Amino acid sequence: MSDLKLQHLDKIYDNKVQAVFDFNLDVKNGELIVLVGPSGCGKSTTLRMVAGLEDISAGNLIIDGKDVTKMAPKDRDIAMVFQNYALYGHMTIYENMAFSLMLRKENKNEIHQKVLSAAEILGLTDQLNKKPNQLSGGQRQRVAMGRAIVRTPKVFLFDEPLSNLDAKLRGATRREILLLHKRLRATMLYVTHDQTEALTLADRIVCMSMGHVQQIGTPLELYDTPANLFVAGFIGLPPMNFFDVEVKNGELICESFKVALTPEEKGSLERYEGATITLGVRPEDISEGGDISVNVFSNENLGQTTLVNGVVGKHRITCKFREWCTYKAGDTVNVSFKKKHFFDKKTTDAISLR
Amino acid sequence: MNFNNEAMIKKDRLRFTKNKLSANLTLLAILLNALYFVSIYKSDVGSYYYNFLIGISVIYNLLFMLVAFLSSEGVKTYKVGYSFTLIGIGVGQIIRIFIIPMNANSTTLSLGGEETTVMESGQFIYVCVCLVASAALCIIAGIINLFKARALAEHQAELDKKAKGS
Repeated sequence: MSDLKLQHLDKIYDNKVQAVFDFNLDVKNGELIVLVGPSGCGKSTTLRMVAGLEDISAGNLIIDGKDVTKMAPKDRDIAMVFQNYALYGHMTIYENMAFSLMLRKENKNEIHQKVLSAAEILGLTDQLNKKPNQLSGGQRQRVAMGRAIVRTPKVFLFDEPLSNLDAKLRGATRREILLLHKRLRATMLYVTHDQTEALTLADRIVCMSMGHVQQIGTPLELYDTPANLFVAGFIGLPPMNFFDVEVKNGELICESFKVALTPEEKGSLERYEGATITLGVRPEDISEGGDISVNVFSNENLGQTTLVNGVVGKHRITCKFREWCTYKAGDTVNVSFKKKHFFDKKTTDAISLR
Repeated sequence: MNFNNEAMIKKDRLRFTKNKLSANLTLLAILLNALYFVSIYKSDVGSYYYNFLIGISVIYNLLFMLVAFLSSEGVKTYKVGYSFTLIGIGVGQIIRIFIIPMNANSTTLSLGGEETTVMESGQFIYVCVCLVASAALCIIAGIINLFKARALAEHQAELDKKAKGS
């Protein structure tokens, strides 16, 4: 396994559309990096540039200390797992897994050993004589992973591998990928638009939007200290609530509520005195009881938690309460904010607390 | 499952790979049989071949191709029965040399007032080579499959025994 460096990568298509802007990332040996972002943000394009399926317009790609920017995909020693599995339907699972090694004309006995060992890791030993259409989606995706494992590549690339699976299978396969990573200690680059996958799998997350990297950090860093409004809104389910508030005399003033600042917050927001900023509050950081009145319009019971959707003045708000609630549309519930995030209204960057 | 010695790994591979060698040899035997009957059927020697025997020959050729093709599929999955079928139809190809080619080679006809041998020695050698090669391929394919199928069965039995033991 190897380390991977993406240095100032740009992708500009022939029609002059730029999909990726100045992408910088240093992946350590054995690290699992998840690229997350909405559709069209450039995450798959970045992954395809690493794989060699897209030309790199500018910048350098370095694997294990070697510049592979101009190298053909087959020479990069990278294995990619696709969303649609890309298995050969006329071949058995064994043949599918052995195929790339057969092409390399490796010793047949060694191929056999590698396939059996990968099949054992993935729990596919009993399926080796079956054809892909006899397997479930999750098993097919495991075969696709097995095909990557047998090659023992320097870097594994995953392009939304769980998107074709139903919710239950997605959870199970996600856990398998995590176990696989722990077992192989392989360098992995994983693309997804699903933040749950990103938060549960990643050693570090790269959050992207419109071709730009918004933030790189551990899952906790992205959740707890988002770098800007985009990351704050994208990471977390349900998403963060935002309010335009004015900073005045140690208080945040909205048209329908006032929130007193702590001394620490007051110090950090000193330079915004009299200005309007964006206040962000995660639904799980809202608790019942307080002086902010929410007009409820829906109550969603999820078992252990309840999502209460409502309106505060002209702002929509979602609250996540840790009990079974039975609010009805038209009810009023008083809430308070536990943890607050502040963002500069103009730049959308987070205002860090001192 | 890990096997330490190469011979064991080779045997274990049989569990997941097809017997392509036997299958391909059988398909080649079908091709050689086709070369044989095309050579006979295109012969222009009056009405010599227009008899009951040639009808049986046509039917046998069709049967041979069908059985050989089914056998080629059967041996792919190491079915022992198809080994005997292949050996049987291989022996049949040898016997065929003594029926139409031998007779045609030893018969002369008067065509347009000229004495002509029905099957010249050049054609005779050609059809004999086709039939012998076809026979050899069928028999070899059958024997290879027989050995591989037995090896696989023994290996499987050993694995089952180990599995029961553990």
